[in-house]
Amino acid sequence: MALSKNSGGHRGMQESMYSVIALVFILVACVELCDAAAAIDVYRLIQYDMSGSAYGSRFAALNHHAASLHFPPGADLSRAVLVIPLRELNITFVREYINQKKPLGGLLFLLPDIFSFENGGNKQVHEKEQLKNLLAELEQLLIHANIPYPVYFAFENDEIDTVLADIKKNDAIGQPATATTGGYKLVIPTPEPKKVASPTITNIQGWLSGLKADGDTNQLPTIAIVASYDTFGAAPALSVGSDSNGSGVVALLEIARLFSLLYSNPKTRGRYNLLFGLTSGGPYNYNGTQKWLRSFDQRLRESIDYAICLNSIGSWDNELWIHVSKPPENAYIKQIFEGFSNVAEEMDIKVGLKHKKINISNPRVAREHEQFSRLRVTAATLSEISTAPELLQGTGGLYDSRQFVNETAITRGVKLVAESLARHIYGHQGKNVQIFADGGSLAVNPAYIQSWLDLLSQTPRVAPFLSKNDPFVMALKKELADHTDEVNMQHEVLEGVFTFYDSTSARLNIYQVASVTFDLLLLLVLGSYLIVLFSFLVITTRGLDDLISLFRRPPSRKVKTA
Amino acid sequence: MIYKSVFSGLIEGPKQIQSNKNKTICSSQIQIENWGQKIRRKMTMFHFFNCAILTFGPHAVYYSATPLSEYDTLGTSVKAALVYLGTALVKLVCLATFLKVSENDGFDPYQELLKAVIGFIDVAGLYFALTQLTHRNISQNHKFQAVGLGWAFADSVLHRLAPLWVGARGLEFTWDFILQGLEANANLVLSISLAALGSLMWLRKNKPKTLIPIIYACAGIVATMPSITSYLRRGLGWHFPKVVGFELFTSLSMAFISWQLFSACQRPSS
Repeated sequence: MALSKNSGGHRGMQESMYSVIALVFILVACVELCDAAAAIDVYRLIQYDMSGSAYGSRFAALNHHAASLHFPPGADLSRAVLVIPLRELNITFVREYINQKKPLGGLLFLLPDIFSFENGGNKQVHEKEQLKNLLAELEQLLIHANIPYPVYFAFENDEIDTVLADIKKNDAIGQPATATTGGYKLVIPTPEPKKVASPTITNIQGWLSGLKADGDTNQLPTIAIVASYDTFGAAPALSVGSDSNGSGVVALLEIARLFSLLYSNPKTRGRYNLLFGLTSGGPYNYNGTQKWLRSFDQRLRESIDYAICLNSIGSWDNELWIHVSKPPENAYIKQIFEGFSNVAEEMDIKVGLKHKKINISNPRVAREHEQFSRLRVTAATLSEISTAPELLQGTGGLYDSRQFVNETAITRGVKLVAESLARHIYGHQGKNVQIFADGGSLAVNPAYIQSWLDLLSQTPRVAPFLSKNDPFVMALKKELADHTDEVNMQHEVLEGVFTFYDSTSARLNIYQVASVTFDLLLLLVLGSYLIVLFSFLVITTRGLDDLISLFRRPPSRKVKTA
Repeated sequence: MIYKSVFSGLIEGPKQIQSNKNKTICSSQIQIENWGQKIRRKMTMFHFFNCAILTFGPHAVYYSATPLSEYDTLGTSVKAALVYLGTALVKLVCLATFLKVSENDGFDPYQELLKAVIGFIDVAGLYFALTQLTHRNISQNHKFQAVGLGWAFADSVLHRLAPLWVGARGLEFTWDFILQGLEANANLVLSISLAALGSLMWLRKNKPKTLIPIIYACAGIVATMPSITSYLRRGLGWHFPKVVGFELFTSLSMAFISWQLFSACQRPSS
């Protein structure tokens, strides 16, 4: 349209411009014309330093041939990447390789679909528990080892399955892939991983004020409900921690919602303040909780009657544990435990009490309530796990995916905690009163729990990789603000004991490379084709004699003159 | 918008390669070769060399094997190549002006019909090269061969050299470039047949009456060959190897038919 409006002089110029632009487009298109047989998303093993010692996989870039577990014995694997599906994993083999520091080009673990959120939804797999335990064991092995080559995780899909079958076939023939025999090449072009500078941990707290009677100047007592929301696992880009501690976060949000409904009406507002805390830094000896508590002023800390910490309440059947640091004979502990037991009995749940003394000189903090106890605040942790986890164990790793969490368990847990708290707040201990009865307006909402659980199961939450203004942290803040009167965020720097490195996910390109022998063969074939073509054309256009004469020397002069 | 249609019109060749695989396009792969894998780099140049001699070798072989080299008809071939480039440019502008850019890769009959009509510009270009250019005293026999050769060579260079240079040197091995080379061979045979039929139609005055319609029919088929192949690829969804096989078969049969016609027309005058 613009063309017709222009004068004739511009026309010629525009046409030549078209051809120039066309040439430019060609060049641009040609530069981009390169590709791989398959390209999949892969997630790197975590790389961190703890107290100066290096752990995890120390490299990120990869450019080696692929090999499978069926490699011929004695083959040199220092320039090969072992591709191991989880179902065929032999943990002793991997442990041997890592502990004896045998040279390897790289490791690629293929995880079944059930561990991924998008695809693993409702599949029933027979060996779910076995795979889960195997993966947990593998994770513990990998995070506590120093591995001098790249280690990646990927989810199984059709492309990689066909590639792996091909690699196995080649290996079975007995020809490991090297530069001269063809095969598959795995390439991950990422730069060297760099340290994450000043990793931040963000604590979010929500405050729900209780009802002060007129003329009462004393500070109302406070009850704190706390859950840590961050995770740590072998692959930080996949550490969604559905049970540890997604279940705790979801339960806290639901309890906040229920109590905000009760407290919205002054007639039903209790005489206790409620403090909700979503803390970070959980896997690192509950560093965030400690900083959060230290930031309180003395009066607030003294006004806390007790704190309930929620951790891993998503996959239990009938038994829950309350962990405490003060001895069970203590009056407060007795009160809390009795409150919970009464409600539990009505709901057909068994609640046990576990006591473990804290040792102030030992920096290891296994459960969140211990941070409260160190500051002389009565606290207890509600959890389905009866034993205390080790450092960096049970912190929401690869195996902790949505498949293994049961929303009904969380719903029952929420009801248990909410009823116990409400009876304590409103003074109905021992009475058979159902405040959060099913079917009523204050019933626990399973849809709310499910949607938040789904969101948490899709969001990796390793603290050093969550920035201050991460959208997920903001979402938590907004949600808590909806249910409480006042929300505050506290940003701290993770203690210097841990240093983390970035580059947590990448794109793996799988190239099918032809061997040198193939190229030579092709050259031979093409050479003979051209020679045959040449002979054919000479024969048909000039005659057979000409062809033969090409090879014979020209007749000597003597013959001609004679 | 117009630039996009110009783009799609001219790079029919590379686009065929592109649409034959489903993949992700990554632009940083060229950097991988700077990782000190010097041996592998030489090998990928090897593959490029192989495909290059498959694509361009037959042209050189044809030139040297037939009497064309004896009569030094290189000038004719070069002129024919230049005429081809000019024709390609004209076709480009026509495509840019008349063709709509369709979003999907399917077969649109109107667009294909339009492309076929524009394809006849090729025939006009060939006519120009055969009749209007001044050649030295070369016999008819050799003239059409030289023109066909130059035409096919220019076609190969324009449509196949760039994808070959970029793609065949990559790490990934595909059969596509070898198939492209075979296609170039088929194209050479087709171009020479078309030039032969063209010279019969426009340069030879005394033709047997019965053969004239056959000559025109064959010329029509050869001229619409690009449309037929694109219909096979898009409309019927044939894979690249099948299409290349079809091209080779038809080019050899058309060459045979035009050879027979040419020698039949040559008999009365001899």
